[in-house]
Amino acid sequence: MSEALREKPNAEQLPESASAGVILNGRYLPPPEDKDGKIWIRTSVLIQTEAEQLYEMWRDVESAPLWQEQIARVTRTGEKTSHWVMRSRDKENDKTIEWNSEILADEPGCRIAWRSVGGDSDNAGEVVFEPSPGRKATLVTVLQEFRMGKLANAWETVVGRNPKQAVIENLRHFKALAETGEIPRTEGQPHGPRGTIAGIKESVYGEKIATPPGLERKAS
Amino acid sequence: MKALCWMGSGKVEVHSVSDPAILNPHDAIIRVTRTAICGSDLHLFDGFIPTMEEGDILGHEFMGIVEEVGKEVNNLQRGDRVVVPFTIACGNCGFCQKKLWSACDNTNPNAHLMEAAYGYSGSGLFGYSHMMGGYAGGQAQYVRVPFANVGPLKIESDLPDEKVLFLSDIFPTGYMAAENAQIRENDTVAVWGCGPVGQFAIASAFMLGAARVIAIDRFPERLEMARSIGAITVDYSEEDVSVLTALKDLTGGSGPDSCIDAVGLEAHSAQLQGLYDKVKTALMLETDRPSVLRQAIQAVRKGGTVSVPGVYGGLLDKVPFGAAFGKGITMKMGQTNMHNYMKPLLRRIEQGQIDPSYIISHRISLEQAPEMYKVWRDKKENVTKIVIDPWAA
Repeated sequence: MSEALREKPNAEQLPESASAGVILNGRYLPPPEDKDGKIWIRTSVLIQTEAEQLYEMWRDVESAPLWQEQIARVTRTGEKTSHWVMRSRDKENDKTIEWNSEILADEPGCRIAWRSVGGDSDNAGEVVFEPSPGRKATLVTVLQEFRMGKLANAWETVVGRNPKQAVIENLRHFKALAETGEIPRTEGQPHGPRGTIAGIKESVYGEKIATPPGLERKAS
Repeated sequence: MKALCWMGSGKVEVHSVSDPAILNPHDAIIRVTRTAICGSDLHLFDGFIPTMEEGDILGHEFMGIVEEVGKEVNNLQRGDRVVVPFTIACGNCGFCQKKLWSACDNTNPNAHLMEAAYGYSGSGLFGYSHMMGGYAGGQAQYVRVPFANVGPLKIESDLPDEKVLFLSDIFPTGYMAAENAQIRENDTVAVWGCGPVGQFAIASAFMLGAARVIAIDRFPERLEMARSIGAITVDYSEEDVSVLTALKDLTGGSGPDSCIDAVGLEAHSAQLQGLYDKVKTALMLETDRPSVLRQAIQAVRKGGTVSVPGVYGGLLDKVPFGAAFGKGITMKMGQTNMHNYMKPLLRRIEQGQIDPSYIISHRISLEQAPEMYKVWRDKKENVTKIVIDPWAA
């Protein structure tokens, strides 16, 4: 490495690689492109909680319905396998899909990778927990892949929750739950008479999707 | 309960709605004893803020009595008297830890909307559009307060509601505006807009050591009020008055050390640019009318500070950024980090250093509110601040 700059009191060791393919050989890598019948989402948050506790929260698959949208039930079927039931429901639709999931990599406090094995959803993902620069907080990055065409994805956007947005929202819920012990919500609060296009607006604001219940315990 | 609902641009109505309930463990339900109409409620009334929905309950300045608390709220109990800050903060995220409460990560359920517009989402606000969280507001008989363990300020003295109500927004907002103006001992400060926030910015500028405060407005009752607390006033609507010349004349040609824009996105201007902005916003080519901001940047001295408590929502046109760069000015702005200021300002009120109720001109019932929104917008009846008793007949 060049010796041109010697004074950098807080500089981090340059990472060779980092979470979910964000850095490789010191270079930033953009998220994978949607193509060949696959769509990708990579998203990250900074959480003021220890990586180990966050890992435990994520690894406890049966508690996923508490913070993941529209997940009705998760049942552990083995050390690394589980059965997932997703129910999307609003005034017009009530659709249930189910799939099995298998953990491919499990590094306590650092990383979990999984994929679906049969069922109604073809997805795979990875979550990485790592100390933020300066080690003040935990940087959580999720990379998830769905095998679904762009057209199907666009349709999901119209009728409900785009799967990419769902991953972003779920990570946001996870953070809120870990940091505060609850997920912010407005469902069930009072309001006056709604107008004729209220349904469309609700859909645009993402308010048709039920906010997951959250936990009453705090991770920290 | 009765609540004031936004029913479309220029239309608010009182409706009977269901009572709020505890939805999360850190919630509290407050029985509202006093609430106020804010200048920024007019931006909603006039349809300048997107993502409003018919039936939304307005109001972000309120106080009352704790009726019920969620099981994780340990600092409050039924019967406590509290003032509630308009920004909702979780207290635990990285921003709250940095005391940037209005940037809280965890209180906007619709954060994705604000991310789309601003890059990142700020905290949720009461009664201020779905982009800002979609929370029901406090111009109602009851209100649900999330993160009640963090926000509400307990009032333990017997000060009347009217003296402490403005700790919910405008007094801290005016104070933070003066703090953001980086005032030093004996500075000269110019304040555009002598509405409630402007009034408290003027008062706070003096508290922070300003020697001279110049207040700019066009309504005689507001200018009078500004003079009553010690400001020199400039009426920009008077013939032959140029604000820039006035500010030069009053500062020996060097300009104010700090300029505070307490007007924001719906500025009126007597000049041609006022018409220009009206046309452009009507055609949706710009969303805000920034004539005060332009003037403040132009007027501030070299190396001075422009502080912006006035609300801006979107895109601005013809902002003299060259002047800002050329003079090397500093600009500070943003939603108020309420939680930093409520306690210290309550102490000032308790010690009798200021009685914020001096700005109140109208005391009304909820039923009168729809009519008073119009009066407030049109600045009729010498209105300066409207306070609502939601239980008054």
